[in-house]
Amino acid sequence: MRTYASPEFALLAVGFTMVVGIYVVAMLDHVVGGRVAARPLLWREIVAGPARSAALLIVQRRMTTERTDTPGWMLAPALFAALAATALALVPLGPDLVVADPETGFVVFSAAIAFVMIAVFLHGWSPNSALPLHGAYRYAAQALSFQIPFLLAMLATALPAESLSIVEIVAAQESAWNVVRQPLGLPIYLVVGLAVSFWGPLNLPDGADLAGGTSAEDSGIARLLWQAARAAMLVAIAAMGAAGFLGGWWGPWLSGIVWMLLKTVALLVLLIAAGHLLARVRIERFVVVAWVLLIPLALVNIFVSGAFLL
Amino acid sequence: MRQFLARIAAGAPVPVFAIAGAGAREQVQDLRLNPGVRLVDSPREANVLLVAGAMPESLAEPLQRIHDAMSHPRCTVVAASPEGRDLHAWLPDATAVALHEPIAGGLVDVHRGILRGDRPSEPALLPDVEPAPWRGVGPFGQGGTGMTGGTPYGRPMADLLDDRDGLRLDILPLTVGPFFPRFPSGLILQATLAGDVVVESAIEANPFTDLDFEMVTPSPTLGPFLRALSAPVPIAELELARARSHLRWLADALVSQGLHALGVRVLALAARVRPGDGEEVRKLERLLRGTQVFRWSLGGVGPIAAERLIAIAAGPVARASGIAEDARADDPAYRELGFTPVTQRAGDAAARWRQRLAEAEQALDLAGRAGPRQTEVRGQVEGPRGLLLAEGAPTGRLYELVPELLAGLEWGDAIATIVSLDLDLEEAALAAQLTAGVPVA
Repeated sequence: MRTYASPEFALLAVGFTMVVGIYVVAMLDHVVGGRVAARPLLWREIVAGPARSAALLIVQRRMTTERTDTPGWMLAPALFAALAATALALVPLGPDLVVADPETGFVVFSAAIAFVMIAVFLHGWSPNSALPLHGAYRYAAQALSFQIPFLLAMLATALPAESLSIVEIVAAQESAWNVVRQPLGLPIYLVVGLAVSFWGPLNLPDGADLAGGTSAEDSGIARLLWQAARAAMLVAIAAMGAAGFLGGWWGPWLSGIVWMLLKTVALLVLLIAAGHLLARVRIERFVVVAWVLLIPLALVNIFVSGAFLL
Repeated sequence: MRQFLARIAAGAPVPVFAIAGAGAREQVQDLRLNPGVRLVDSPREANVLLVAGAMPESLAEPLQRIHDAMSHPRCTVVAASPEGRDLHAWLPDATAVALHEPIAGGLVDVHRGILRGDRPSEPALLPDVEPAPWRGVGPFGQGGTGMTGGTPYGRPMADLLDDRDGLRLDILPLTVGPFFPRFPSGLILQATLAGDVVVESAIEANPFTDLDFEMVTPSPTLGPFLRALSAPVPIAELELARARSHLRWLADALVSQGLHALGVRVLALAARVRPGDGEEVRKLERLLRGTQVFRWSLGGVGPIAAERLIAIAAGPVARASGIAEDARADDPAYRELGFTPVTQRAGDAAARWRQRLAEAEQALDLAGRAGPRQTEVRGQVEGPRGLLLAEGAPTGRLYELVPELLAGLEWGDAIATIVSLDLDLEEAALAAQLTAGVPVA
């Protein structure tokens, strides 16, 4: 039995992290997008913008389509947000600062990522509309392709720690971060991370060619929740990337928690910038790259890391 | 609480579903430059429907459908010249703003008004009935004309068809348009999809042909080319309009690749460029190469063999497939400037993107060197989309090619292919009416 926070504290901590994380994602997206668009940035808009847009969606009344799967449609964002929350709960901010640290933390995290497919499929299926359904099937193809490289890239980080606990995985990086020991791991993880949260070049289920894909029929608070859950998942991916590959709380001069936050924000900026600066990847090419390139590379990554440990 | 939220919400960019009719493409596109407005892809996301320019009557019902799909609180803004009376008959609650003044201010005001509750949210225009009754043809109300396939309950069902890999897969009929945000206004595509693949498709007739263009002011990027059909026009003006047209196309094309912010940047550049600014376009091309759009998004997508494009005079589309055909090469003034057409070889969507960038760069260089030279009047002119004649525009000639191009493509590639053709239904309809002696403004 390892560390677990009390349920009340866990809810509070994870909820707070999610809200702050989602807000930070929205602000970063505005800043990076503004820079790319060569548009002047106003502090007021950066800080208040996400709150205003959220308020607008709360005020907007939900519209529905003919013969929807209503429970499914409502459940999808909740499931997606719950999966992001599960993933976030496993990320340690410091050696003793973690909501849940099960021995099998890595497995729980991978399970949360695997279930995202269900949430996205449900979200596309429920409105009973062609473009969302199309997006849903696309994500199925995308998810089936990224699961294995994702698992393998993450698994390599468990080798030096000789444990599946995330806290142990971070603790084992005191002498050298995994990004140095396993240089292939982080790039694979980030590519797949974009695919999991379908962000930027890998936003295929909700892409522009489907006029919004699985969220094309969303309005009002349902749209807000879906976008928020997606942003929360991006935060979870960045935070787990910082923990698994960038040494988590390890770093000189500053306290562990500050290092962890800095690394998470750095990865978030990288992921969001990729969203504004890289063009859409064709689904066929992504599937081919995932099976033909990412899986072998992730295997090489594991073999090399294993060989160093022998 | 709701009022408090509405007050906060009033500061957010207005979510607008914008529909560009004839003569308003640029004004609608320029809304992207305004941070107070956000053009959205789905009417569900929008609070404001903007209909700008002139619309043919056949698009009245689709317009009303879009209106009714919007979420409450909702409102409509019509930006049309005074003769756009029809729009008010179709959208009776709409607020009118002037087309040739910045529209964004009007959109923000109207939106604040409905958020404050100063005006009620607009009711539906069409009766809220199901497209067909949920009762089939059987004695117990079940079934229709087939259980897989057919249209039981008046709703098309997935059917089975052999796909390219020899499997029997579900196929799904899908109609997209006339206001699909990635398509030019008025384009209606009827596609049959097997999974992600377009098995076959058809395009409906251009609805803008019903529109009377006598009262429509042509857009500023098209105007100089229409004038050049019957009068000499300074080459500098014509080439600047060409560069702007290509950059405006690129801005929309980038949005279709999910690169919204870059699209805004390019749109700002389109407004800013001056004759001789070729270097700006070269810089832009380097930036685009960095996005990998030519490689992993468009490389090898929607190739068109050169022999399919012979005698179509489809401008950049033809030249991207290696046909060095350009009406400018026959104009003595252009020959003096040492003009030779740029071409690509690949003929795919990436080549068409590159071709337009290269032509924008060339056009700005030509405009910079042209001095007072004017075009020769020959009843035809090389427009930004190809050879413009008094009896037809390139879009009309490319139109029939589209279904054949899309067959076997994945949906994303099909959209990228249509975008790369730069179809303009308004231009096609307008050119067809020129023979009838419509004066060109």
